[in-house]
Amino acid sequence: MTNDLVSTAAAPKVQRPPAEQRYATELAKLAAEDESPRPPGWALSLQAARTFIVGDESRGISRKFVGDPSLIDRALVTLATNRGLMLVGEPGTAKSLLSELIAAAVSGDSTLTIQGGASTTEDQIAYSWNYSLLVSEGPTERALVPAPLLRGMAEGRVVRFEEITRCPLEVQDSLLSPLSDRVLAIPELEGDSMVFAREGFNIIATANTRDRGVNEMSAALKRRFNFETVFPIADFKTELDLVEAESSAALARSGVPAPPSRDVLEVLVRVFRDLRTGDANSGRPQAVMSTAEAVSVAHAVGIKAWYLRGGTAVAGDIVDCMAGAAAKDNAEDLARLRRYLEQKAPKRKGPHWESLYQARNLLPG
Amino acid sequence: MIERLHVQGVRHHSPACARLVAARIAELRPAAVLIEGPADFNHRLGELALEHELPVAIYSYASTDLSVRRTWAPMCDYSPEWVALTEGRRSGAEVRFIDLPAWHRAFDGVENRYSDAERRYTDATDLLCREFAVDNVDALWDHLVEVAETEGLAERLDHYFDLVRGEADADGHDNAREAYMAQWIRSTLAETDGPVLVVCGGFHAPALRRLAESGDAAPPALPEPPENTETGGYLVPYSFKRLDAFAGYQSGMPSPEYYQRLWEAGPEEAAATLVQRITLRLRERGLHVSTSDLIGARSLTEGLARLRGHGRPGRTDLLDGLASALISDDLEQPLPWTRRGSLTAGTHPVVVEMTAALTGERVGRLHPDTPRPPLVDDAEAEMARLGLDGEGALRLDLAKPKDLERSRALHCMRLLRLPGVRRDSGPTAGADVTAEEHWSLRPSADRLPVLIESGALGATLGDAAQTVLEQRADAEGALDALAALLFDAALCGRAHLTDRLGASVEAAVDDSGDLGEVGPALATVLALWRHDHLFGTAGSDLYAAVVTACAHRILWLAEGLHAGPGPADLGRLSAMRALRDAVRHAPGLTPPARSVAAAAQRIATDGLAPPDLRGAALGLAWALGAPANAAEAAEGVADPVRLGDWLAGLFAVAREEVLAEEQGVVSAVDELVADLNEDEFLIALPALRQAFAMFPPRERGLIAERLVAARGGGDARDLTRKLAVNPVVMASAMALEARVETALAREDLVFGGES
Repeated sequence: MTNDLVSTAAAPKVQRPPAEQRYATELAKLAAEDESPRPPGWALSLQAARTFIVGDESRGISRKFVGDPSLIDRALVTLATNRGLMLVGEPGTAKSLLSELIAAAVSGDSTLTIQGGASTTEDQIAYSWNYSLLVSEGPTERALVPAPLLRGMAEGRVVRFEEITRCPLEVQDSLLSPLSDRVLAIPELEGDSMVFAREGFNIIATANTRDRGVNEMSAALKRRFNFETVFPIADFKTELDLVEAESSAALARSGVPAPPSRDVLEVLVRVFRDLRTGDANSGRPQAVMSTAEAVSVAHAVGIKAWYLRGGTAVAGDIVDCMAGAAAKDNAEDLARLRRYLEQKAPKRKGPHWESLYQARNLLPG
Repeated sequence: MIERLHVQGVRHHSPACARLVAARIAELRPAAVLIEGPADFNHRLGELALEHELPVAIYSYASTDLSVRRTWAPMCDYSPEWVALTEGRRSGAEVRFIDLPAWHRAFDGVENRYSDAERRYTDATDLLCREFAVDNVDALWDHLVEVAETEGLAERLDHYFDLVRGEADADGHDNAREAYMAQWIRSTLAETDGPVLVVCGGFHAPALRRLAESGDAAPPALPEPPENTETGGYLVPYSFKRLDAFAGYQSGMPSPEYYQRLWEAGPEEAAATLVQRITLRLRERGLHVSTSDLIGARSLTEGLARLRGHGRPGRTDLLDGLASALISDDLEQPLPWTRRGSLTAGTHPVVVEMTAALTGERVGRLHPDTPRPPLVDDAEAEMARLGLDGEGALRLDLAKPKDLERSRALHCMRLLRLPGVRRDSGPTAGADVTAEEHWSLRPSADRLPVLIESGALGATLGDAAQTVLEQRADAEGALDALAALLFDAALCGRAHLTDRLGASVEAAVDDSGDLGEVGPALATVLALWRHDHLFGTAGSDLYAAVVTACAHRILWLAEGLHAGPGPADLGRLSAMRALRDAVRHAPGLTPPARSVAAAAQRIATDGLAPPDLRGAALGLAWALGAPANAAEAAEGVADPVRLGDWLAGLFAVAREEVLAEEQGVVSAVDELVADLNEDEFLIALPALRQAFAMFPPRERGLIAERLVAARGGGDARDLTRKLAVNPVVMASAMALEARVETALAREDLVFGGES
């Protein structure tokens, strides 16, 4: 139960503890009640892992991911076979959250994470050396500094590879032999220089379709992953509920006691969905109109209203927050947003849409 | 007596429910089996007992003068209703349909009688989907019913349907149907002593149990169809494509081929054969599927089934496993089985092939003894007789009688929208001179259903096409659409006058308030009536009626037309010309020439009528032989604003008469023009040019020669020749000259003048 102590003690200080700490009690409960067979090396059975993510109110397990349950099923079964899992989708569709939750459920640990980027090297993926030890002792195990992949293989845990497509192709391909042969060679070490993956090891990679996408990925690597596309939330009410819950929580963390008004959020979510689908007869914006982005705009709107005005937000506040958050610095997106506010907003009924329309001149430029 | 009643709620097209129905019939040995189906088909249940290849559907129509409403009740091997019919009959029970007929108001907007379960999206099913962590109601159904243990299925279904019914609101339509079905149940219970099994949509089951308890136990009468509505029905072959929920709205369960296999051989076999089919399809289309992919798919499917607690792999386990293993791309559209509804554009090609394989290509076939509407036999005989039952391109020469006959049959089929009959080229309603027609023929499994479904329209191809023509004529109010329709009639060889066609044409003509619309219609129809030996429409009574209606209408419109001076309206003028032709060439169809001429003279002298119409009316009177002094009349419109327009009207209708005069209107105009000062001339000029453009160049030359001769000789070609100099340059030169002359006059410098 030290884990519990750590998590409760650490919670107020740590900005965002990992999923296995945030949901430590739920994980412990699921593990204790888990009667189904567990795949080798797994912390939970498939059923319990699924319950952890999709939730089960009667057992006090919260719903942590909003989306098709079948996606979770496929993802978990994929991990139980020997293929890697590739989560692809628009930015802001909660791919990283999903990979974190899955890793926490499957391995009890979501911290073996590689963040992909243009400058990611093999050092950061597999292993590097403690150079002072390397100089004094030569290439010994003591001098070896394991990176997430090596640790995951040696300890039999799930390794998360975020934004894999942002890495150079040759770096991506360093995953080939760990994924197919389940072995990592460390040629520098003398004698036994092969690390064989223990059961429980697998890789969850995420890639977003706005960056380079998965098309350039080598066919060899593609073949070693099962692809799962994560879509924006299809249902308006579900998305609104999620934005409401998430932005209320975020505002509470920021010390704002007043939750955002649902009417204002409704306007916000509707605007995001309209812009996302390109419904506003002006094409889809370059910027990402994701649920996560909507939550962050709702958060910003709430903070601004509370700390600068001492009240709750009105729909008009959305406008200037959106200009910064959603339109970023793209002039075309700004023009699109303006056209939306000019043409679409006045057609919708209700005082909040009216307020949004009145605030349209707050858009910069 | 209520304990003898057993109501089995089912989901339409569910194999598990079908199996349950069979088991209940075997167990209960019911005296009567009552089925949700059209009660007006009860006296023809024998047709359903013939050995058909399913799927077939009971097709019902209700046709009024204006439209035909069509409803289908599709059945496949694994339909609970079908199993109830066949097993009930086999066990010796009395089998009966107990639902309202398809034409009843309760089925307004319903195309598929067995799709209603799909329309009940309720909070209850949403909640269950959440509870069982499945994507949608189809997956929920598979999970709870199709791949679940059969033990306790009946109780599970009752709970499920109670929950759905408890949440959903039954509307007035449901109430009407349930009241009717309940009366059948009560009367059957009163008639028999044995058990009575009711097989109905699960949504209705709780209500029927309740309603069966008390009420009128007399056998319900079949409701009478509304007045002027002809109703009926036939069995038609159906197809899995039409049955599939992915293919369109108002269908039942998705993936019929999958459920067919599930019904025939169980889930393992179904999964195995479908993986094979999908693999074959993908490889045929050049999409890569490796053995290791298939191994991966297999283990994923099994893993998914186990995770989801399915003892045997279900439909979505299979699809999910294949999708995970075979797709190495990001998807543009969600997997279709995670949502409901039809495939959307941008669906991944592998997914498209997968869903297509699960839809299947099965097409039903009726037993040859099944009664068919006479139209089917007529159409088949015609096609065989004319050699149209083949396949490929067809070139027809309409001048040959045999080919004309074939063309007519094909046009009738085209009007009936028979699949696999396409016209590539041929004569159009314009004045083209081709007598060649090109068609492409292609056999289609959908042809028979369409023919049966068109059976309500008539007993022969021609009659059915005629009905289509009439219905469209009723629907189309506009004269120009009607003109196209009349041409269609010619193509079909159906240019005969029927009361209905005649009435709608007359109505359309009478509705038209524009001479420019009636004119062209009259011209086209008159030509078809007079000359068309190609289509055999010369002298057609239908076209004769149109000519009469149009001629009267033009005269009527022309006489009431009042407007100030304005540019000549060519549509108006062509109407007057068409009227002239009609009176000349079809004297029996129009008012007598004398009275037309008299009316024309009235218009010609009507000061309120626009000048072009007055001119045209004078021309009409003149052309019809009435005494007309055009030269004198021209002086009456010497005003430069009117002169040209008036002449345009006159020339449009009485060109020949004008030319036949030696002196007369042309020299009168010449004098009038000579009297105009320069400004007036410029005002009159454009309209005058337009008026003389009514003459072809040769005739213009003739007029020029006469004018030059009258003026003392010269070369007439100088008058008609095109200027070598740009008119704009000429105009500016003339303007400059005028300015110089003014300046000279002002400064008193005019040579030769007096100083």
